[in-house]
Amino acid sequence: MGIRLILYLAIIFLGGIVGYKDLVHKTVVSKMNLIQSLCLLSLLFIMGIKIGGDKKVISSFFKLGYQAVIISVFSIALSVLFVMAIKKFVIDKDEEEGDENEC
Amino acid sequence: MSVRIILSVLGGILLGYYFSPEYILTNTDIIIDIGLCILLFFVGIDIGKNKEVLSRIKKMGFKILLIPLMIIIGSITGSMLAGLIIDLPINESGAVGAGLGWYTLSAMMLANYSSELSTLAFLTNVVREIIALITIPLIAKYIGDLESIAPAGATAMDTALPMISRSTNPKTAIISFITGVILSTSVPILVPIIINI
Repeated sequence: MGIRLILYLAIIFLGGIVGYKDLVHKTVVSKMNLIQSLCLLSLLFIMGIKIGGDKKVISSFFKLGYQAVIISVFSIALSVLFVMAIKKFVIDKDEEEGDENEC
Repeated sequence: MSVRIILSVLGGILLGYYFSPEYILTNTDIIIDIGLCILLFFVGIDIGKNKEVLSRIKKMGFKILLIPLMIIIGSITGSMLAGLIIDLPINESGAVGAGLGWYTLSAMMLANYSSELSTLAFLTNVVREIIALITIPLIAKYIGDLESIAPAGATAMDTALPMISRSTNPKTAIISFITGVILSTSVPILVPIIINI
């Protein structure tokens, strides 16, 4: 997976350079969105075939749905709590100190 | 687009379930690998096009980066905690949480690991987006503006941005966009790292 991660990063970086330097011509950009959508939808279709071909996944679909709700609720709750904490102890504090310095 | 995404996955599931096309099933891993690389290239282009993000971060102060960082830590620890409750290995539940609401990419990144986990990643992050769209106005009203960005995760730069913008103020909308860009960049890095813990 180490090599895979490097490959992913290299591809994103390469794409980043292409996007940053506007190497894609404007006329291609509109077509690029279409290519991107088609690529995504066909990949999801293939992913669906893989899921559908795995009878174990289909039989546990409701169990997965229940697990999905638990994981998403916990993810959201903790991310809100962590942002609340950083806002209270760092961001608001810095702004208060900034205001005092201005006085 | 969301409807087309759901229809594509459902169409694939039905085809796979009723016809199990052998040729495609034996080659799904390589097809997904190649497709994922093409998709990541497009993700890179989208990130690169957002040139103003860096200057906006400099303008607002680097402490603004703490928000996406907290969303990453909160999402991953939250999903790992949920994993303990539903009896799922923490690397698997953590990787699902590391999808940060980006259901298409996270599901595809885990497709070659296991179909079950890929489905769970897809469902979890779809549910996250739905919960986000419902709770953003409530969190903005009763808890705080910056906190309302947290449920959105990676979608804070696109799907959830109009909702955040409507429920908060222009400054929070800019922070939301920056947060979304950083979180979207993090997903393809975090998912493979956490699944291999």
